[in-house]
Amino acid sequence: MKLTITFDRLRWEEKALSDAAKAAGLDASLIDVKGLVFEVPKARPEFGDVVLQRCISHYRSSLLTQALEGSGLRVINSSAVAETCSNKLATSIALSNAGVPTPRTMLALSPEGAEEAAEELGYPFVLKPFTGSWGRMVTVVRDRATMQSLIEFKEELANPQEQHMYYLQEYIKRPPRDIRAIVAGDSIIACVHRIAPPGEWRTNVARGAVSKAFKPDKELKEIILSAAEAVGGGILGVDAMEPESGYIVHEVNNTVEFKGAQSAVDTDIPAQLIKYVAQSSRR
Amino acid sequence: MNTSCKECGAALTVPNDAIAGEIVSCKDCSTEYEVAEISNGNVLLKPAEQVGEDWGE
Repeated sequence: MKLTITFDRLRWEEKALSDAAKAAGLDASLIDVKGLVFEVPKARPEFGDVVLQRCISHYRSSLLTQALEGSGLRVINSSAVAETCSNKLATSIALSNAGVPTPRTMLALSPEGAEEAAEELGYPFVLKPFTGSWGRMVTVVRDRATMQSLIEFKEELANPQEQHMYYLQEYIKRPPRDIRAIVAGDSIIACVHRIAPPGEWRTNVARGAVSKAFKPDKELKEIILSAAEAVGGGILGVDAMEPESGYIVHEVNNTVEFKGAQSAVDTDIPAQLIKYVAQSSRR
Repeated sequence: MNTSCKECGAALTVPNDAIAGEIVSCKDCSTEYEVAEISNGNVLLKPAEQVGEDWGE
């Protein structure tokens, strides 16, 4: 099987995946997509049988996946999964519709609507961008005065998706850690706690969180796998919280980063992900 | 492989096992470069893309 791993910024993960693919005996190549040009839809045999999409830029990744799928190639993850995961509103809807516990979420389409939604949710709540990662611009809003200031700042943004539209989510009281599960198909490859660094409430590894391995119980396993299935499946990073009331999934990541998780577990994550790619391509 | 930072002029060492696409940063000024090409032990760098709003998982 010929596998292509596409990237636009070569991180540890892409190199590890490439090494794992070669170790598994696959004909694998890493392709920097930035210099590519596509006439669509036209066959691109140089990409082989399957493409593992690992671009760090969501929009580049999304358009490239569409072009590759248009050429008849199988891409992991598919453009449908990528779109659901990259848009937090779409993720919330997919999780809720599948019966996966997820925080109460509201969409507002104007500054006035945002104030109304804030009152409806009650303070504190979490204001998030629709698209984005690593916890950037994710804010706990603790009172009305702060919300009014945030609305003023948001209205000045140049990004039309984030300028007048608001994604508000229930604030979940949890320990200063969350759960990151690396999922491939219907298997949980690794599961870690991400512990927030001192002075930071967000638990992103990019913000300095430390990963610690743990064994998920039966209930958590089922929730993680249901969340992955809800967004369409593939190679995913499911993020969950553990308030006293039970597990809650707040995000599913499409181009999952696993350097932090790998530092905490013995399982060879890239090798397991490549195994899934090879197996699913044979189906 | 040795080269220098185009921003501050400091010496910049690129690991011998680096491959095209890899990111290296200047230890003095933190400017990031992407390895554009490696041939005959010579490395060609280009400025790395800056973090985008849509970057990440």
